[in-house]
Amino acid sequence: MTTVAPVRVATARRAGSTARAIGRRVLTSVLVLWGAVTLAFLALHLIPGNTVDAVAGGTTQVTPQLRAQITAEYSLDRPLVVQYLQYLGKLVRGDLGDSYALRMPVAKAIGQQLGSTMILLVTATVFAILVSVVIALLTAHRRRWIRGLFSGLEVTGVAVPAFWLGILLLTVFSFQLHWFPAIGSAGIAGLVLPALTLSAAPIGMLTQVLRQGLERVLDEPFVVTARSRGISEAAVRLRHVLRHAVLPVITLAGWLAGTMIGGAVVVEQVFSRQGLGRLTVNAVGHKDMPLVLGIVLIAALFYVLVNIAIDVAYRLIDPRLRSEDTTR
Amino acid sequence: MSVSRRSGFAVATAASLTLVLAACGSSGSGATGSAGSPVSGGTLTYAINTDADCLDPHQSPADVAGFFARPILDSLVALDPGGKILPWLAKSWTVSADGRAYTFNLRDDVTFSDGEAFDAAAVKANFDHVVNPKTQSKLAAGTIPTYTGARVIDPHTVEIDLSQPSSAFLPAVATAYLGIEAPSTLAGDPKALCGKIVGTGPFVSADGYTPQKGISYTRRNDYKWPAGTAKHQGPAYLDRLDIQVVTENSSRLGALTSGQVDAIASVPPVNVAQLKANPGFQIQTAQAPGGNYSYYPNTQSGPFADIRVRQAFRSGIDWDTIVSKLYFGVFQPAKNPLAPSTVDYDKTVEPSYAYDPAKANQLLDQAGWTGRDAQGYRTKDGVRLTLVHPFLQAYVREQRDVLADQLQAAAKQLGIEIKNQNVDYGTYLKLLATPEGHDLGDFSWQRASPDALRTLFGSANIATPQSGFGTNQARYDNPAVDKYLADALTTGDPRQQADLYAKAQQQITADAAVFPVYVFNYVVGAAKKVQGITFEPQAFPTFYDTWLAQQ
Amino acid sequence: MTVIDRIPVTTARRTWRPGLVLSFAFLIVVVLAALVPHLFTHVDPDAADPAATLLGPGGGHPLGTDQNGRDLFARIVHGAAPSLLIGLGASALGLAAGTVLGVLAAQSGRIGDELVSRLLDVLLSIPGLLLVILVVAVLGAGTGTSVVGLAVIVAPANARLVRGEILRIRGSAFVEAAHALGWPRWQVVLRHVVPNAVGPVLVLATISVGGTISAGASLSFLGLGPQPPTAEWGAMLAASRDYFAVAWWPAIFPGLALTATVLAITVTGGYLQQRLEGRAGR
Repeated sequence: MTTVAPVRVATARRAGSTARAIGRRVLTSVLVLWGAVTLAFLALHLIPGNTVDAVAGGTTQVTPQLRAQITAEYSLDRPLVVQYLQYLGKLVRGDLGDSYALRMPVAKAIGQQLGSTMILLVTATVFAILVSVVIALLTAHRRRWIRGLFSGLEVTGVAVPAFWLGILLLTVFSFQLHWFPAIGSAGIAGLVLPALTLSAAPIGMLTQVLRQGLERVLDEPFVVTARSRGISEAAVRLRHVLRHAVLPVITLAGWLAGTMIGGAVVVEQVFSRQGLGRLTVNAVGHKDMPLVLGIVLIAALFYVLVNIAIDVAYRLIDPRLRSEDTTR
Repeated sequence: MSVSRRSGFAVATAASLTLVLAACGSSGSGATGSAGSPVSGGTLTYAINTDADCLDPHQSPADVAGFFARPILDSLVALDPGGKILPWLAKSWTVSADGRAYTFNLRDDVTFSDGEAFDAAAVKANFDHVVNPKTQSKLAAGTIPTYTGARVIDPHTVEIDLSQPSSAFLPAVATAYLGIEAPSTLAGDPKALCGKIVGTGPFVSADGYTPQKGISYTRRNDYKWPAGTAKHQGPAYLDRLDIQVVTENSSRLGALTSGQVDAIASVPPVNVAQLKANPGFQIQTAQAPGGNYSYYPNTQSGPFADIRVRQAFRSGIDWDTIVSKLYFGVFQPAKNPLAPSTVDYDKTVEPSYAYDPAKANQLLDQAGWTGRDAQGYRTKDGVRLTLVHPFLQAYVREQRDVLADQLQAAAKQLGIEIKNQNVDYGTYLKLLATPEGHDLGDFSWQRASPDALRTLFGSANIATPQSGFGTNQARYDNPAVDKYLADALTTGDPRQQADLYAKAQQQITADAAVFPVYVFNYVVGAAKKVQGITFEPQAFPTFYDTWLAQQ
Repeated sequence: MTVIDRIPVTTARRTWRPGLVLSFAFLIVVVLAALVPHLFTHVDPDAADPAATLLGPGGGHPLGTDQNGRDLFARIVHGAAPSLLIGLGASALGLAAGTVLGVLAAQSGRIGDELVSRLLDVLLSIPGLLLVILVVAVLGAGTGTSVVGLAVIVAPANARLVRGEILRIRGSAFVEAAHALGWPRWQVVLRHVVPNAVGPVLVLATISVGGTISAGASLSFLGLGPQPPTAEWGAMLAASRDYFAVAWWPAIFPGLALTATVLAITVTGGYLQQRLEGRAGR
């Protein structure tokens, strides 16, 4: 099986009882979240420059009174450890703090952008999976030139930089042909080009993995048996083969999620969509500590949840894993 | 490099102010102004290139907050394109003999969109809100540094007191940064105002402003107190106004040409000719007064401490060709510390900014930079003539990064190495706040007054590690110029003022304390049907008089 | 930003593969351009000419000029070096760091393993691009920073793989034999376990070169990569997009060079992967 490395393959040593497994899972998840926030906190403090200037922003000269006010409001005169503990303390109570630049609660700032990003991610992911499955089903063990053609397209899809593809699509289909809107986050029409751009590389990747899986399964004896019973080729592929070939794709889900999130930053920029990606770039640029930490936390939470979902999916699809659990 | 997306607010003196409005639609297809009489109705969608971060102009550091807030907020007075102060929410005003007290006589028929009445107490609440430390005003409070307090004399009369006379006070009051917000909204947490503000203006925004997305306004039908500068009375023509933030230049243009939006801010110069040639569109420009987009040499330290090196840099680079080729004639080359549309602009200094490479090389030789290293750069005592130029990539607009590349190549011809350093904001401030941190800075500062000279060259505005950003990037410290500028601000005599400002421009030019690059134009591209976009003095468009022609 | 760690190239074992030959030939050209650009052009890639901006292909400029009047062909040739440097540098650094972390995890007992594994979890949980943006914010934008930032993304995957391989090999017969002979633990690890574990990781690193080049270009697109006037393909594309409506060439040619290079590395890397796995008897 082809593995993609940043994936948390759910074969970690598991404790006997499910309850202990869940407990351990929750504990490590919290540890990961804490680690991510701590790492980001340290990194943000290593960024050169004075936080008061970052809060004041802009190119106005800051009066001493304003400096004092800002320093007091954000406790910037406290030692780093104290600021860190204060942040964690608020975090535990569910308070992400206020963004320096946007002057609004971080939860609200993220909330305003999260919807747009999630719609893009979900659309692109669903689109990528559908297209990959269809192409893989149609091309597995087919004539050489068909496979060759699609293989070429898939590898190209992976190789083309997303931002360049986006600019090309935008220029041709929006600026020239006027088929799709040039800007904006609203409506389904505005989602087509960004989703296409974002899913190009994943489609190339998923299709290849899926086809490899399909071709392996197609050679298995049970497929030959099914065919011999007079079941049509389409039915064989859909009913029997696909189920088995899907496992490696689930392995890829974690990678897929990471790729999509990273890609969203660039795609949102190219297509002038509102969203977390652009928010992130701006927030780091402004040294907007509470906002960056909030975004890191959301992203890490997303990662943790996706990986739990992968584990669950594994157990549902592959019963062997369940029995493995009980025997160990 | 450019920091000016958050700077350059406009404060005008009472003298004249030139606003160049040029409707450049292609001829023969019903050009602007001849499309019949205004009609009500319709939605205008406008795409702007910069984000405001915080909508409340009282506290936001971004000058563009004034643009976003203007449809909602009215001011006490208005500034007309000729620089005259006209009534708005104040019917009239008087100034005390010592110039330190302004008494405003307010309209009595004005209400805020939330139903509150507009009165003297509301004015006092607004001024106090701007200067309240809790508001953390980063721009607005700086425009009224002499404000000491307000007194409610009767419900419709308010007195504003200043610590010293200032000809810049009324023009500051006319800007959206001191726009009047509903007092009830000022009482709470100032942060809430970053998303939503309430005023007396011709439009209201129910949902407020969303960063990276923009803002939608609807017309207020009972509006009947427009500014003295307005071209009509009664409610605005547009039913609805949608402003979208689109930072990508090509997307903004594409959205306009594909009909997705009706008008866009900041048309990329490279596309202006293209748009002009298209019969469906028009270009409107407004030249911004104040400081140009300029490079500033660090006059305190490094190679530029030697005036001959500054003079050589000024005359050794073909600024004209670089600017005209890069901006296709949309922005004109600048030849003065000030923009030509600024009051008291002194034309006589222009010849000093001519291109003369022979003189430049001679000056560099005289300054001792006679050696040459392997890469062809000049050296003195074995040290290469290198200029460090820190800039902020995130704030780059109008292809200033391309310009920086061309400048670098042009300087190489002179044997000067420019190091363009893209740094983060904190590092940028640090480098500019110390004499040793940089050799070149660049930014633009639009301001409808020659007092921009004080902002740009007054010794009080040299950055220190405590001040954050300093607008005197040249670190120029000349007591004579400081005195000219201080006297010009308080003198009541326009002729004396003109003379003082001319002297300042001449001295700054003689000291080669600035390398002017181009004069900033606000360039709006719009569909033909869009009529009556007007510009405020700082060259931001306004939409009260805007209407959509039937097609 | 996509950093792909392993590309499954499904082209089955065949004798004549025009794609592979083409890819390999193209890679040689790109590497030559990176090492000796003067083989291809003697034009200065940074020589701006305000009088010759955005000239179309043909004439004195085979691929036209960019918005600064610089020769596009010269810039694409000289752009090979930074792009390859970022791809190879980040992959190599990621490989080294990943190996060290992986060995540490596998060899330092339960607590050490747990610590390193959780650290890897943390690094993986922050989206790669956000991690790089943070690294760039701390270190300042530039070619070197791009290398370090991208290596941070690549390293955890490598570390995971190394750790897994070591655990697998440690259980194998020959290592147990070495222990039985009384060899010191670290000697066994360094002499026998690590060299055997590095093989598959090396393949992964090779293939990740294409991904890191692509990711590096995305970084440039956001203005966080190599700084002007460095001729780097991603930065050239980013700068060209404002001129696309009037000049297509600065937006097309660097993109083709970038895509073709990543494609060639992917195809060649996939072939190497197959050969290595084939030899390993899989």
